[in-house]
Amino acid sequence: MLSAGDYQAIWLTLKLAGLTTFLLMIMAPPLAWWLARSQAKLRPLIESLVALPLILPPTVLGFYLLIAFSPEHFLGQWWLGFSETSLAFSFTGLVIASVIYSLPFVVQPLQSAFVHLDKTYLEVSSTLGYGKYERLYKIIFPMLLPSFIISGALGFAHTIGEFGVVLMIGGNIPGETQVLSILLFDHVESLQYSSAHQLSFILLVFSMSLLVVIYGFLQKRQQRVLNA
Amino acid sequence: MLKFDIQKNFKINSTSNHKTRTLHFKGELNLSGVCAIFGDSGAGKTTLLRCLIGLEQCTGQISFQQQQWLNQPESNKAKSKSTVHKPLRVATEKRNIGVVFQEPRLFPHLNVQQNLQLAVNKSENSAFTIQKLAQNLGFTELLNHQTTQLSGGQKQRIAIARALLTNPQLLVMDEPLSSLDASSKQLLLPFIKQISEHIPILYITHSEHELFYLSKQMILVNNGEIEAIGEPQQLFLDSELSLIKFAQQGLILNVLVKQFDPVEGLIKGCLDGQTLYISADQAPLTKQIQVKINSRDVIIALKPIEGSSLLNCLTAQVIDFSQDQQKAVILTLKINSQFIYAYITLRSFNKLNLAIGSNVFAHVKTMSIIN
Repeated sequence: MLSAGDYQAIWLTLKLAGLTTFLLMIMAPPLAWWLARSQAKLRPLIESLVALPLILPPTVLGFYLLIAFSPEHFLGQWWLGFSETSLAFSFTGLVIASVIYSLPFVVQPLQSAFVHLDKTYLEVSSTLGYGKYERLYKIIFPMLLPSFIISGALGFAHTIGEFGVVLMIGGNIPGETQVLSILLFDHVESLQYSSAHQLSFILLVFSMSLLVVIYGFLQKRQQRVLNA
Repeated sequence: MLKFDIQKNFKINSTSNHKTRTLHFKGELNLSGVCAIFGDSGAGKTTLLRCLIGLEQCTGQISFQQQQWLNQPESNKAKSKSTVHKPLRVATEKRNIGVVFQEPRLFPHLNVQQNLQLAVNKSENSAFTIQKLAQNLGFTELLNHQTTQLSGGQKQRIAIARALLTNPQLLVMDEPLSSLDASSKQLLLPFIKQISEHIPILYITHSEHELFYLSKQMILVNNGEIEAIGEPQQLFLDSELSLIKFAQQGLILNVLVKQFDPVEGLIKGCLDGQTLYISADQAPLTKQIQVKINSRDVIIALKPIEGSSLLNCLTAQVIDFSQDQQKAVILTLKINSQFIYAYITLRSFNKLNLAIGSNVFAHVKTMSIIN
């Protein structure tokens, strides 16, 4: 059965993924809206920057973050002065890194929904008396709720699954930075195959069922609304 | 009173050079009842309407009753005298206009009741309620349906109810019936007319049937400008207007129904005191009907024609005539207070020795009932 260490890693992983998803669901909608609508010259650059974690080896991202988090650099130094702890090898550091590398997974489904949104719905909302922001959160966002759930779910799942970045900047501190994927690696390194089997199976079932819900249910629902 | 003087520039992207097309609309309307906006496709009707609603950016002035909706000088002028007055642009949601678009545009994630509730939530002291409108427009049993399951006619009825539930000071409709079947039109036209007694309506249409049935006032839009504003009957007789080619094909007349003979399938009607027989397959629903007389179906004679199959013979006076490119002559005939056009050859015109003021007998072969 699962050990106390396993449970601790599962809890830590859920905490990390939950917090990351929460932050992303605040940041991603305005960013995705801007990316979907803006004609600015800067837009392709920002779009590329957001998408970068999709193709960049996670270790590259992790390496740069590690440097940025170190006390010799501005960010790490500022954080040290602010909270008297180090960002590297800390849970806070992991959250920051997770927000960056899971960003495209949250932004892209939203951006796609916003692009396919018929802009006449915005016009109708304004003729019904709904102002610039009110029409978004009272009418348009509820209409695109499936896309919001897909985005959140993908961000959550991807944060649980990330390995490279976590390894680079988090190290392997139980209760602080030792998440599931790292612990699994540990189990395999120390030839504890049955423990590795258990964790792998949990991750496999979780990921698979999430994707089935997304593709089999949520996406269809959203398409029905967008194609209406 | 709706007063506007607006410009709208379009960039036309032809492959080699960038051209701009400027639309310029200027007008003043005393709003009561339905005011129809009429004109060819591409003339700018929808653009005019969208500028008035505030969905399209434009420069100029718009005011409605005591409210100023737009006061935005053209951009190049603005630089030179920018401090004279502050540009003003009231957002669409603050203009309190009910809008019915050509497509119903209901929100697909909500059911009928929830769609209507969105409008109710933002309006105060509305004279309308969901229940009353649902009864009048016949969709009470659809309130719990998903909008995606409804037919086009059902959706448009709900869209009209939604626009009314915002308790608008002005209702704007962009060809609301153009994609609907005949039975939906038959239900909605009298309803719209009835509504217009309480709320002024701006109504874009391509259909002269709707135009003559609904409106006492029309705006003729031609080539990005307002060509004329006036009563439809008058504008259709004005040979100076671009409308004339279209109008001369046939005019619409108001006829009072006297009786209907189901055996012969004939309506006996009264046109300004003269009797008129009109074929119909069923009794008319209203006391007053509108018929269209095609100008090529009118035969002119100096004496009543006897011993023919022609049923209808109207006494009329020639009040104007003009010639088209094919040398044919178009006569404008006055029958007391109403008018018809007649299309005859130049040879007939000369043979009959017609002139302005001639009294003639106009025989009408066929005519079609419009409502």
